[in-house]
Order: sequence, then structure tokens, then C-alpha cells
Amino acid sequence: MKLYVFGRIGQALLVLWAAFTLSFVLLQALPGDAVLIKFLSPDFGLSADQINEIRAAYAVDSNIFVQYGRTLFNFLKGDFGYSLQAGVPVSAQLATNMPPTLRLAGLGFAVAVLLAVSIAFLSSMAPFAWLRNLFQSLPSLLISVPVFWLAIMLIQIFSFRLRLVSVINPGPWESLVLPVATLAVPISAPLAQILIRNIDEIRTRPFIAVARAKGASEARLLWKHVARNAILPALTIAGVLFGELVAGAVVTETVFGLNGIGGLTEKAVGNQDLSVLQAIVVISAAAFVAINLAVDLAYPILDPRLRNRAGAER
Amino acid sequence: MLRFPKLLTLSLGLLASATFATASLAADTPVKGGKFTYLEQQAHTNLYPPAGGFYPNGGILNQITDKLTYQNPKTLEIEPWLALSWQVNDNATEYTFKLRPGVTFSDGTPLDAAAVAKNFDTFGLGNKALKLPVSEVVNNYDRSEVVDPLTVKFYFKKPSPGFLQGTSVIGSGIVSLSTLALPFEQLGDATKIIGSGPFVVKAETIGKSLSLQARSDYNWGPAKLDHQGRAYLDEISYIITSEDSVRIGALLAGQADFIRQIQAYDEAQVEAQGFTIFAPSTRGVNNSIVFRPDNPLVADLKVRKALSLAVNRDEIISTLFSKNYPKATSVIASTAIGYVPLVDKLQYDPEKAEALLDEAGFKPGADGIREKDGQKLVLTSYESLPQPQSRAVLQLIGQQWAKLGVKLNVLAGDAGSKVVDELDPLKTPVAVAMVGRADPDVVKSQFYPTNRNALVQKGGVSDKVKTFADDKLNSILEEIASQPDREKRLKAVADAQAYLLDQAYSVPIFEEPQAFAGAPYVKGVAFESVGRPSFYSVWLDK
Repeated sequence: MKLYVFGRIGQALLVLWAAFTLSFVLLQALPGDAVLIKFLSPDFGLSADQINEIRAAYAVDSNIFVQYGRTLFNFLKGDFGYSLQAGVPVSAQLATNMPPTLRLAGLGFAVAVLLAVSIAFLSSMAPFAWLRNLFQSLPSLLISVPVFWLAIMLIQIFSFRLRLVSVINPGPWESLVLPVATLAVPISAPLAQILIRNIDEIRTRPFIAVARAKGASEARLLWKHVARNAILPALTIAGVLFGELVAGAVVTETVFGLNGIGGLTEKAVGNQDLSVLQAIVVISAAAFVAINLAVDLAYPILDPRLRNRAGAER
Repeated sequence: MLRFPKLLTLSLGLLASATFATASLAADTPVKGGKFTYLEQQAHTNLYPPAGGFYPNGGILNQITDKLTYQNPKTLEIEPWLALSWQVNDNATEYTFKLRPGVTFSDGTPLDAAAVAKNFDTFGLGNKALKLPVSEVVNNYDRSEVVDPLTVKFYFKKPSPGFLQGTSVIGSGIVSLSTLALPFEQLGDATKIIGSGPFVVKAETIGKSLSLQARSDYNWGPAKLDHQGRAYLDEISYIITSEDSVRIGALLAGQADFIRQIQAYDEAQVEAQGFTIFAPSTRGVNNSIVFRPDNPLVADLKVRKALSLAVNRDEIISTLFSKNYPKATSVIASTAIGYVPLVDKLQYDPEKAEALLDEAGFKPGADGIREKDGQKLVLTSYESLPQPQSRAVLQLIGQQWAKLGVKLNVLAGDAGSKVVDELDPLKTPVAVAMVGRADPDVVKSQFYPTNRNALVQKGGVSDKVKTFADDKLNSILEEIASQPDREKRLKAVADAQAYLLDQAYSVPIFEEPQAFAGAPYVKGVAFESVGRPSFYSVWLDK
């Protein structure tokens, strides 16, 4: 087991390095660069000589391998450099933008899970067939709602019409209500879908029939036997959905005017703000890797069969 | 369902504004105090003063820094501010400023001749070690001299008649020595910008919000303003709200007091509820499309003339804009210095346009698109994000040109591709142009090869230009920037306008305003000469 964990961490580091290198190469391949975008902008009105001096000062035209080596070395030291567009250290940008995104993503995910589990169980436990059908078709509806539209509708209704929550200058928790709702809806849909499928499938398995024959109640069946089995694939998807969460955050943060990694990424991509993008790519990759590692390590805890196999194989 | 309530709110709004008008007559003594919430569309970037051209930056710098001189936005005359008086020698190479005594930066250090000298040394020459670029408005700068603690003198290598106005712009805001000692990369942090203005940056969450506080000891506003002493407001809260509908909705729902950037199609719903639209003119080169004659497709004057004649400004303005967007009647705005009306050079005449294209040898091909020697008349332009509805304007022009058999591709593209392609006349034969500045120098800024080089002449940043350079145009532009005699200088501005239209280099569309909206109780909003807000005299009547 120890060996397995170390192996996975080694893999993770490899993934991080690959993400760093790939993003560096891709960003270099784009036309133009951050210095050009920043200083050729009409707000400065600089002459060719002046721009060339600035390019030399930022060493943007130096050898690409030298640039790569320098950036990698600085990253290993923990120095992310400066954002050329915003004129502040990248670490300061991350420090102001990480916590709100983590809070938003964390709460959004928690609410999404709650929503998904409720939908899934209601779709098999609800009293009437039409009601069960309704809950079963809910995920398809939720996934087809555009996040952008949902966000604007929630603001228009709850903030501008009913005036229940303020969008401008809200309190720390007030600011989260609508964005969390916006983010949770599209994340909950695929989770609910998978849970519903699994519950349906597992209910037809022979061991359920056995349990039922032994006199287990429907509720006990669902919680004790079905749920534990149904939750595994959902967990895998949950890991993957993290990416969706980040993508959703871009839209949510823009519409609600929240600061966060999503908005930061959007701006940095637009301006090819290299140091900001590299930092975001590496941090997102790290988060992805960490979450998937956590999911993999959680499997054996949930499923005893995997516990033995992991132990035997590694 | 919508129709009736709209009418109702409209009439209520009218009623409200009517009663309001009488109320405001009774109470026009400014009320002190209060917090003001201002919604910005975009986050500020680097706050090095010469980067103040970017509107979000200018909107902040204008509150926290003062300038040597004040350009009266109504008369465009230069009036005293930090400088009580000044002298300019006959050929505009030496400027002496007498400073107001007792002015301090918000960190307590004195704003004296040494500080002012250091500011213009930096703006005029740049600072390579700190990567600070030079300012667009300070041309031919040589050096400064501190004559005594309150007298500073500037020397120029060549006549620089635009410098006096240049000291009044946001890009020439005076900042403390500690701010100028920081490298460029750190000036995006608003708390590090120490000025002497009526407001001070109290706190900021980068990319999200900024809080300004009034300076209680402020007593050096522009000398001729009625309002003297500290600002009326206690606090201004800037909040970045990029989504248009959220900004407008928040204003109407009472969650904000003032917003920047409101599109023409949203004006009606704001005014219907008794809110005010402010659309100050930017007083510079009009919102225009320009041609890059280095591209063989638009090298022929007849082709450019034809394309200019085929642009229907009335249709563009009535379809996309409102009364706040006046139709262009010259290269520069009718509120700009040196404006000459040239309506007869800006006619809409599609028949003549067709005839000119026929003459130029572009004949309709099988697909309806004109061609000459197998070269199709297909042009390309990028939309310009800061300009109002730029994409829609270009698409409408594209439709107008299509009737003539000319195709215009409108590209969005990422910032990098745009910057690179805009330097290549073969890729972008057409471009969007516009600059705001209330000085004749603005025409040179827009078209001169070593400045913004809108026509992409040889001698600029681009290495893609093969031959195109118009020496006659450039000599007129040089005359504007260096002629010390005011009358002769204005004559050069008139010549430039006529020449640019005679050569059909530029097709001015409309006079671009900056659009803001405010709640009815917001009083005393002022704009500097290029449409950036000043909140110094704002007060809340509620």
C-alpha cells in the first residue's frame, strides 16, 4: 500500500511537469506575446524603439530554452513572477483569488452532491410513478440549462426584483447564495444521472432479491445494499467533474462579479499573461491530481473487494 | 404583460423627475458625507500615470492624483491647478511652472519642484531600470531644472507646443517619489500609487474592488472651480461588475449609485426610470475605419473613395446608436480643438461609389464580388473591443459594402492575433481607429508612423510594410506637433483633416462618447476634457 501511494505521488509529479511544459510550449506557439499586447496597446502610444527597449528589458526575445529553464527554475523556488497585465506579483493574485474560488467550488460541490443524492433517491423512493418519472428526467433538464442564463435569471429575480440578496457589496455569506446555486445545478446533473442508473441496475441484482427474501425493508435495502454499491462510479465521476467546476466558475465569477481563479484565468488567457497562466495551469493540474488520488485512495475504504486486490497486486 | 407596466413606470418616472426638478431647485447646497458606489466594467491594470489612457485606470487616477494644470472641460482653456502660473518661451522649448505652496502627497511628503521634476523626467524619458515607459503626451523632452523649491523648468529638444495641455491630462498625474521608485511590475497595486488628489486609496482587492477615502486636509483643487476644500463624499467604493445587465440592474435596483459603460440600446430603460445618462465627448479622433494602403486592394484612391462613399452613417447611427452618438462631420469631433466641418467630403453616394469601382477596374465576378486581375475585393478587419458595438458597426458597414460587391470579413480573434495581424496591412486592410485627447496633437498621435500609426506606414513598429509612406501627411502631422504659433498650428490641424479625407485614408463614423449612468440623487458629477469622471464635487441629494 505504501509503495502504491509513493508510486502515485511520483506519477502526479510527472503529470505536473508535463502540464507545465505543455502549457509553456502552447503559449509560446500563440501569435504575439504579453509584452506586445500590453505595450502596443493604444493606451501607451509608444514608438517602435521604445517598444524594442521594453522587449529587451523583459527578455521576451531570448532563446526559448533559456526562457523555459528560467521559468521552471523560478517555479521550483516558488517564485511565480509578475503579472504583466495587472502589474502585481502572481502570488498576490493567487492569494486574493484562490480562497474565494475554493469556497465557491467547495460549497457548490457540496450542494451539488446533496441535490444529486436527493434526486436519485426520490426518483426511486417517491410515492407515485409520475413523480418518480419526473425526478428521473430532472437531470437531463438541469444539464441543459446554460449556466450563464441561469446566473442572470437568478440575479434578476432574487436580487433586482425580490431584493432578497444584494449582488453589489454583499455580506460574505450573502455573496455565496446565488453563485453556489448557479454552480451546483450543472454539476449535480451528471452525478444524479449516474446514481439513478446505478440504483436501477443494482436493484435488479440477485443479492438484492436475497436480501429482500431475508426480510429487509425497502429503506434498509436502499441504504445498506444499493447505495454502497451505487456510490462508487459516482465517486469517479465526481473527480472528473472538478474540471467542470472550474469551467463553471469562470462564468459564475464573471456574471456575479466575484473575484476568483476563473476570472483570473479568463483575463490571463486574453492577454497571454504567461506567468499567470503557467501558475494557474500548474495549480489546477495539482488540484486535479490530488482529487483523483484521493478518489483512488477512497475506493478501498468503500469497497472491501478493492482493498484485497490493491494489497495483493502492489 | 410587459407593455403596460413599462408605460406605468415611464409615466411614474416622468412624474418623479418633474417633482425632482423642483425639489433640486430648493436644495442645491451640496451635502457633505456619504458613501458612493461606482460600478466599473473592467478591472484597472497598471496605474503608472501614463497608462491612464485606459478608461478604468483613468477613472481611478483622476481621483487620487492632481495635475499641474487644469483643462476647463467647457472652454478647453488651460487653468491653474498645482501650478499657480507658468511661462512658455516663444518657440515652446522652455516651460517654467510656479507651484502652489503647501501641497503634500498622501504619505505626508511635500509636492515641490523636485517631485514635479522627477515626475516629468520619468514621463518624458522613461526609466529603463524600472521598465517605466515614456508618456505619449510628453514629446521631445530634454531635461528639468529645479529653480527653487516652488519653481520648476522643463527644456525640450524641439518645439513642443502640446506640452502645456499635456500637463493637464490624467497621464501627467503627479505621484510621490516613493511611487516612482517602484518597478513597473508593481504599479498595478493601487495602494502603492501615492498622489496628492482629493481621494486616497484605502484598500483594494485586486481585480474585484477598490475603496477610496476623502482626504480631509485637501485644499488645492483647480483654482477656478467653485468647489474648494475637501471632497464632499467620504468614501467611494469601486466594484468591478463586468456583466452589462448586472451593472444596469444593480443601478436601477438601488444597489449602486453610478456606473460606467452603458450601451445605446440600454439607454431607454435607464432613462425611463428617471436615471441620468452622461455621455461626455472624448474630443479627439472620431470613431473611424481606416485603410492601410500598403495592401494593394486599397492602394488605389478610387477604391478607398468608393468605400468611403458607400458608408451610410445615418443608417449606422439610427440602427445601433442614440442621440448621444453624433454623426461624424470631420476626422475629429466637433468638440475637438481645431475642428473644421467637412460634411461635403463625407457624403453617402452608392451610385458614385459603383462608378468609381468600375473605373478602378474592379468588375463584379460570378459570385457577385468584384475582382480585378483575379484578385477579389475581399477585405478584413478586427473588431475593437473598447469601442462601442464595434463588431455590429463593422458588420453593418460590411452589409453596406456588400451591395457594392465588396466583402468585409469581421474578425474577433484573441488579443495576440489581433496585435500581430494589425501590424500587417495584407491581413488587415481595414481597421478601427479612435483616440481621445483635447489637444491638436491627437491627430498626430493617431496617424504618425512612430505613434499609433493607424494607416500602418513604413517607419513604425511593423516590419511587414513594403513601401507605403505618405510624406505629405507626415509633414503636416509634424507641423501640428511642433508649430509654436497657435494660428499656424490650427491651420495644420485643418489641413490634416482635409488631406485625410481627400485621400480617403479615414472614414469617420461618429463622435464617440463615454457613456455613464447615475441615480437621480447623484449631483455634481464632472468629467475631464476626455470624458473620464471626476468625483471631487459629487454629492448625494438623498
